[in-house]
Amino acid sequence: MGFTGLALGAMLQRDSAANSNLWTPPSGLPHLPAKAKSVIWLFMNGGVSHMESFDPKPMLSKYEGKTIAETPFADVQDPKKLALERLVVPDGNGNQRNKIYPLQVGFKQHGQSGIEVSDWFPHIARNVDKLSIIRSMYTTDSNHGAQTQFHSGRHMVEGSYPTLGAWVHYGLGSLNDNLPSFVSIGTREYWNNKDGHYLGPAHDAVPLRIDPSNPLDFGKPERPFSVHSQEIGLNLVRELNGLRGVEYPKDPALAARVASYELAFRMQQSMPEALDFSKETAETKALYGLEQAHCRDFGSQMLAARRLVERGVRFIQIQHGGGGAGAWDAHGGLKANHSKLALQVDQPIGALLIDLERRGMLEETLVVFATEFGRTPGTQGVDGRDHHIFGFSVWMAGGGLKGGVVHGATDELGFHAVENRHYVTDVHATILSQLGLDSRKLEIPGRKRLEIDHGKPITAIIA
Amino acid sequence: MKTPPVPACVLRVALLSGVLSLAPGLHANSDYLKSVKPLLQERCYSCHGGLKQKGGLRLDTAALARKGGESGGVVSKRNDGTFVLLERVSSSDPEERMPPKHEGETFNLAQVQILREWIEAGAPGPADEKPEADPREHWAFRARQRPALPAQRAGEWGRNPVDAFLAREFAREGVVPQREAPPESLLRRLYMDLVGVPPTLEEIAAAEAVPVEQWYAATVERLLGDPRYGQRWGRHWMDIWRYSDWWGLGAQLRNSQKHMWHWRDWIIESLNADTPYDEMIRLMLAADEIAPDDLQKLRATGFLARNWFLFNRNTWMEETVEHVGKGFLGLTFNCAKCHDHKYDPISHTDYYRMRAFFEPYHVRLDVFPGESNLEIDGVPRAYDGLPDAPTFRFVRGEESQPDKSSPLSPAVPAILALGSLKMTPVVLPPTAVEPERRAWVLEAHVGSAKKAVENAVAAMSKAQEKLAAAEKRAADSEIFKQERVRSESPAETGSASIKPATEKAASVPPAASEENALEEARAELRVAECAADLAKAELESVEARAQAMRALWESGAEVGELRAAAVLAERSAAVSKQQQLVADAALRLLRVTAEKRPAVEKAAKTAAEALEKALKKRNDPVESADTYTRLYGAKWTPTRFLSSGKDDPDVPFPKVSTGRRKALAEWVTDARHPLTARVAANHIWARHMGTPLVANTFEFGRKSPAPSQLALLDWLASELVDSGWSMKHLHRLIVNSAAYRLSSTLAGGEASLARDPDNSLWWRRTPLRLEAEVVRDSILALAGELDCTQGGASIPASAQADSKRRSVYFYHSNNERNLFLTTFDVAAVKECYRRDESIVPQQALALTNSKIVHDMAQRIAGLLYASHGPEATPTEESFIRNAYAYVLGIKASAEEVAACSRGMAAWRQSASASEKDASALARDNLVWALLNHNDFVTLR
Repeated sequence: MGFTGLALGAMLQRDSAANSNLWTPPSGLPHLPAKAKSVIWLFMNGGVSHMESFDPKPMLSKYEGKTIAETPFADVQDPKKLALERLVVPDGNGNQRNKIYPLQVGFKQHGQSGIEVSDWFPHIARNVDKLSIIRSMYTTDSNHGAQTQFHSGRHMVEGSYPTLGAWVHYGLGSLNDNLPSFVSIGTREYWNNKDGHYLGPAHDAVPLRIDPSNPLDFGKPERPFSVHSQEIGLNLVRELNGLRGVEYPKDPALAARVASYELAFRMQQSMPEALDFSKETAETKALYGLEQAHCRDFGSQMLAARRLVERGVRFIQIQHGGGGAGAWDAHGGLKANHSKLALQVDQPIGALLIDLERRGMLEETLVVFATEFGRTPGTQGVDGRDHHIFGFSVWMAGGGLKGGVVHGATDELGFHAVENRHYVTDVHATILSQLGLDSRKLEIPGRKRLEIDHGKPITAIIA
Repeated sequence: MKTPPVPACVLRVALLSGVLSLAPGLHANSDYLKSVKPLLQERCYSCHGGLKQKGGLRLDTAALARKGGESGGVVSKRNDGTFVLLERVSSSDPEERMPPKHEGETFNLAQVQILREWIEAGAPGPADEKPEADPREHWAFRARQRPALPAQRAGEWGRNPVDAFLAREFAREGVVPQREAPPESLLRRLYMDLVGVPPTLEEIAAAEAVPVEQWYAATVERLLGDPRYGQRWGRHWMDIWRYSDWWGLGAQLRNSQKHMWHWRDWIIESLNADTPYDEMIRLMLAADEIAPDDLQKLRATGFLARNWFLFNRNTWMEETVEHVGKGFLGLTFNCAKCHDHKYDPISHTDYYRMRAFFEPYHVRLDVFPGESNLEIDGVPRAYDGLPDAPTFRFVRGEESQPDKSSPLSPAVPAILALGSLKMTPVVLPPTAVEPERRAWVLEAHVGSAKKAVENAVAAMSKAQEKLAAAEKRAADSEIFKQERVRSESPAETGSASIKPATEKAASVPPAASEENALEEARAELRVAECAADLAKAELESVEARAQAMRALWESGAEVGELRAAAVLAERSAAVSKQQQLVADAALRLLRVTAEKRPAVEKAAKTAAEALEKALKKRNDPVESADTYTRLYGAKWTPTRFLSSGKDDPDVPFPKVSTGRRKALAEWVTDARHPLTARVAANHIWARHMGTPLVANTFEFGRKSPAPSQLALLDWLASELVDSGWSMKHLHRLIVNSAAYRLSSTLAGGEASLARDPDNSLWWRRTPLRLEAEVVRDSILALAGELDCTQGGASIPASAQADSKRRSVYFYHSNNERNLFLTTFDVAAVKECYRRDESIVPQQALALTNSKIVHDMAQRIAGLLYASHGPEATPTEESFIRNAYAYVLGIKASAEEVAACSRGMAAWRQSASASEKDASALARDNLVWALLNHNDFVTLR
């Protein structure tokens, strides 16, 4: 195990590796030519209804009020198909709902591609030609442990496994010497609040607040201490550490410690600047909706994400509606819930896509819009939908992926993914391949990964 | 990227016709050792190698592959030009294809081609190729022998047998041990390692006064006898044994148990008492069967109670099997959950047989002396609540697919059996089955009831005061009203400048608000009075029931009048309860909004009716069939496996325990067990010396090659067992060795470094990044602020910022971990057999910016300054030298002193006039800088 997360990273590791046959961590260089450099990972906690977002199903309105058995699609409830489910936290949710609930929102075709998107997401819809929409996702945990499953690829009962961001952080060096390369914004429930797991806490995302005055934990002195005093101190610390090198020459840990202090100091200086929007134009701020109360918070996160990507941050993980089950968990009042939450995220996400493109950044930035599962075609209570693992949608944009494509499909009711089915790790594999990483080369001894952990890149959406 | 698998049907045709053409660039390397053997090893050896020989076939050498199996050759060309092995690995028929479904990854096109080229070349391999050894011959599975001590010549390097083993390897490998570390480093090393805090100024001065040989061994003894030793080493074992306080979603307990700290305290106390390691394991696995009536020892089963999981029995059992295997035995049983172990002789069935030891156990909270409310305290512990629960093998590890045809009994893997297990059911004493019989339980109930009365009476006085205040305000307001009436009649006074009685009265319409407040205060008092009555009635009920229960146990039968008294007292308490609910509803009616009023009215009506019933019941004669509620001595922790939306049916406390876990514990701790002592010795060595003898501390199976210092490991393990499993004995051996005292410098060690770059021979000390707890505790200890109080409930997150307790007492669960500690790689509760030693910028931020470092730096500077005595003003140089010695355990060089001096001058210069004494500020800042020095968080 030894030292992990060395600030000098790859260089030191290479030095020590040269002398021995022991296994060594990755070099920090991609295994394959990389098409994307950064990832913005948007995760909607609670479970977004796929039918009311990116996979409209008019049959739901046609068969409103009928039981599934009364529709021509009764076979969706074939027990063999339902065996996919693996529940861990049964709580009265995560059940099949039999009475068809009509679509709660209209939808239209958009863009050159003519892809249908629900009316709750007009800004994202305007950018539909940038998106690869995957309408054939499935997972296996029908409760919110599926949040961690979407990040790590493993069902909650199997333990805790590194998340995608941690693998990227582990596999690739930083693009920037002043900022952490893996950050996390927003609340995460306990089953999904760490990333590194067996890769070590050095590969956990650094929690970030969109507050230039206090963005990082311990990000500024908690007692009065001027920048000048701190500089005197840090110069002294560097000098004293250097003097220790006389008695302890070639100590890699000492060198790494010195480097980590320099990075920390730069981080402390750079992060507030990265999150300071004062130099953004009024047009940009308006684009992200910063002047509107309903989307100011998420708009700030999107604008921060763009600024962080510009500054070379590798993986930006943003949780929307995190905590507890997650805000999108519309067991009741789906229309009120989804329309309100969509209003919070839609304009900022649309703005992010536009802004990245016009700055020429979308090519190398992969934007992911994901959620832990979809929602049932049937109604729960009078006006809600339950958790649904058998078919749901995510989309990705930029980073060398195709735009304006729909990949995979659910059946007429939106129940099962029936065409080009993808487990969550296929999304991971796609992202890793765009970043030039081969997940098999990242394996570490004693931690055998399964086929399903690696997933397969969704080649159909790669440009 | 992965090469896509070959469409099997295409490949089959191609292979049969022998005309497969490969895509350009797919030319396989047919070098056997480099390309073929690793493939066979990964995909085939587990069934066709040393572990198993399915179909009589082995593929672990080229020669054995050429020999073939029971049904003939596999790499020899058949008449139709095909090869059995190629056909099997590329078959489209899942029944035919190798590796079989679920047993391994299918060979892809390129890999098949690699095999093909090798086979067509006649399956060549080196003549001296060795087959895999019989698993019984694996070093860790062979019985441990006490190795002979290597001969040491007089005057040769070394202090004790540890060194003799190391020196033999030094000579063999041509490395030379580094010099001994300076005394100040040794002192710091001993303190940090054994008690987890640095020495005090006095302790440093005492050591400086005499040569190292005069204090070293004595200091070792003193520190091993220091109660802080248990706190330091307890945390190491808490990592390995997966200590965790409870966690869940909000207030819902989902994992581990409330009051898990009792187990933590047991660990710390046991280490301080040098409780034998084997005894500790036995108690953790089976104290309820070994010492069923000893609550102190029952705390040990927190090890099992910690695995409790609200929703899923299977997850709970899996964690138990996995970590009993990894933690005590260095075996990865978990790899055999879905299929036979690929490397070790642990079959799929063996996995479930191991689970069967644990199948009956459940978790309950036992009443702890002094408190009967289990929400407040109680000992989480294991017991066999489900003695008849069957264990089935799950097909492919899926809990939905139990193989019900053959229930499995508990057993250990055959290769590790040490004779037959003695599985004798344990008849439990009555106090274990009916824990309310324990001497302190009834007392605890009475005590808690008395405390409740005190609290209720105190609350009642508060309510009385509140009412009195409200009455006064109302009276004042009455005066105000009258005065206002007067003031509003200008004819009478000619002036409107009358001061309102109170500010508040001026801002709110007085009459309504004061009357409401008064009425509310009266209703609140009524509630408080009822609550006090209830507490008193409860106390009477508890006392009456306690008396009846005592009489029952003494005489063996219910004593009629005491039973009747208990029944009546309980009925009275029920009346009081309803009276309180009625009063409560009345209060709520005063506060409720119009909208919610009907619901509260309904509740009030229900409460009134229930009170009627309770009153009627109280007056009923006591029949012979009437019983009272027994006071409990323990409660099981209810699970929700059944998904019914409510707790599962109670799991009772049976009179007999299965004896399964006791038998398992005896096997694990059998002195002949080849693994247990080796695994423990390896853990202890790793924590003293920085790196373990066996690289993977939880994996001693065949994946783990024999360590280069196997003899040393076996000697340490033998010492552990033969000393009566004394861990302190092992500590003594290791810390008194010359190896422990080596310098960690590389200077002058270039030749050794070239021969052994990873220091796998321990020719120098490996520097350690201090653990999170040691970093925080040391900062406080240097300031003289660390509170080393032993034991007690975990400090909750909300109190941690201001707490000076040792970090081991901080609440630590999957959900809640202290931020500062987390930054320094605190243990993950799910698995932590070794801590990470990361070096990340967040640590620098924590040490440069946190309150604790700034505040303690000031105190440390003050303490250092004062240490020179009141009469002497220390020179800057002596302050710097002292600070270096104290904070870092280093004798500062002239250059270091000069650098510090320059820094201090710069700080003095930059200090503004408004700040305190510039020199004091510079001293504070210097200490702050030293706390940020690499060697503060490093053990050199």
